[in-house]
Amino acid sequence: MLRFELTTQLVRVRTLIALACLAGVPVAAAIPLAAQPGQRNGNESGLFGASPYSAANHAMASLEFMAPLLLPIVVALLACAIASADRDWGVLRYLYVAPVTRERLLAAKLAATALATLIAVVVVMVAGFAAGTVVFGWHPFHIIGAAPLTTGEATGRVLAATGYTLLCMLAMAAIAFTLGLLLPRGAEALAIAVGFVVVASIINGQHALHAVAAVLPVHYWQNWIGLFDPAGAPDLALGAGVQLATTVLCTTAGWLILRHRDPAA
Amino acid sequence: MPAPTVTIQAEGLAKRYRRHLAVDRLSFQVREGEICALLGPNGAGKTSAMRMLVGLSTPDSGTASIAGTPVRLGAPVLRRVGVLIDGPAFVPHLSGTANLRLLWSAGGRAWPPPGLDEALDLAGLGAAIGRRVKGYSMGMRQRLMLAAAFMRRPDVLVLDEPANGLDPAEVRALRRHLADRSAAGATVLISSHQLAEVQQLATHAVVLNHGRLAAAGPLGDLVGAHASLEDAYLAMTDGYHDAAL
Repeated sequence: MLRFELTTQLVRVRTLIALACLAGVPVAAAIPLAAQPGQRNGNESGLFGASPYSAANHAMASLEFMAPLLLPIVVALLACAIASADRDWGVLRYLYVAPVTRERLLAAKLAATALATLIAVVVVMVAGFAAGTVVFGWHPFHIIGAAPLTTGEATGRVLAATGYTLLCMLAMAAIAFTLGLLLPRGAEALAIAVGFVVVASIINGQHALHAVAAVLPVHYWQNWIGLFDPAGAPDLALGAGVQLATTVLCTTAGWLILRHRDPAA
Repeated sequence: MPAPTVTIQAEGLAKRYRRHLAVDRLSFQVREGEICALLGPNGAGKTSAMRMLVGLSTPDSGTASIAGTPVRLGAPVLRRVGVLIDGPAFVPHLSGTANLRLLWSAGGRAWPPPGLDEALDLAGLGAAIGRRVKGYSMGMRQRLMLAAAFMRRPDVLVLDEPANGLDPAEVRALRRHLADRSAAGATVLISSHQLAEVQQLATHAVVLNHGRLAAAGPLGDLVGAHASLEDAYLAMTDGYHDAAL
């Protein structure tokens, strides 16, 4: 069943275009800075300001740029499609008579969703490193206002940031996946999932709505940036906990939806 | 000589969709080697009954069994059943072959299925089998779906309107294939509105009207003194068509 999900969703023109868009952004962002490797990016601060200093700097700046919107949109697109495309095409009934049990179907869909999310995050990182290597070269990770990181420190922090972002995107995927199971059409699920990210981002920017923002997973998505901030990282454990809780909650809801829905209803 | 084994059994099946009672206490049996036609006007509950028989819909009451095993969603006994229900459906951006392969391997089995060549012969898609399904005509999609049902060489077939979209030569080939499968011991349940076709093919019939069983039995007994199955059917469905006209 996992093969069914991977074949029908990942090896698909739409998916490949979405992944190409993810890969294209770090490349496009590197080109204007090609003339100034090793120099600060204008008056920008933080990771954006240090982007031209090294491949790793550029990869992390790319992740910071894409993690709030473009990456979650692509993840939502993939997760909604995995959850709902077989129903939209009408193939779901033929899978059940293949026969495939609900448990196997859900397990395959969840595995495919997790794999698709991992691929999306890896594409951003690989494209960031590749473009950064070609344009800026391999140098110590530069932090504006602090000493460069050693190779060991940089490796650890890059891996931690990537892992944390993967966890955040898994929460996004879980939300989109559950919407894909719940709503009649995949397109509706995708629209609502993207709307959720946009609205949650707006709420996140309003101090008056902090209490609301704090319970939404989007609020914690950029916490990893603190790993590269001289002031130190905020508490990643709380953010990771919220993402995990969201993932578990949505996966459970998805199971209940699949369990109780009559496929012919 | 012992009576053939009951392969498909509906016992008191009932299904309600909101206020609409689609199937009402429906009971019938289909035995090994029989070709049973499930007949009835549009909305009589044929497809709803078939969905329950293959586990796609949970009955509100009653039980559906295949080979003595109660059927539920994804039940292992469905490995023995070839199904066409609610029309053909495929992954549109994949080829005919890739779709057959996916539907077969979804059940956890190694490619190729035992009846693939024979099923592809019947489908008669030629080189088109390697093309994307989204470019197929309705008839081609129907033939590919029939190939998906036949490729597993099932001993039970549940086919909802299998002749839809087929030309006369294809209908004849399908009829012969079903007759051969039945002669080999397979149990066939088909729904159809093409009564002349049913009369040539079926050995038995179950007639539904307003979700209820109107009549069931060997085709000859049902036709009885009527001139044709069509006349008998119209008499059994209590003037439904007169009202429709």
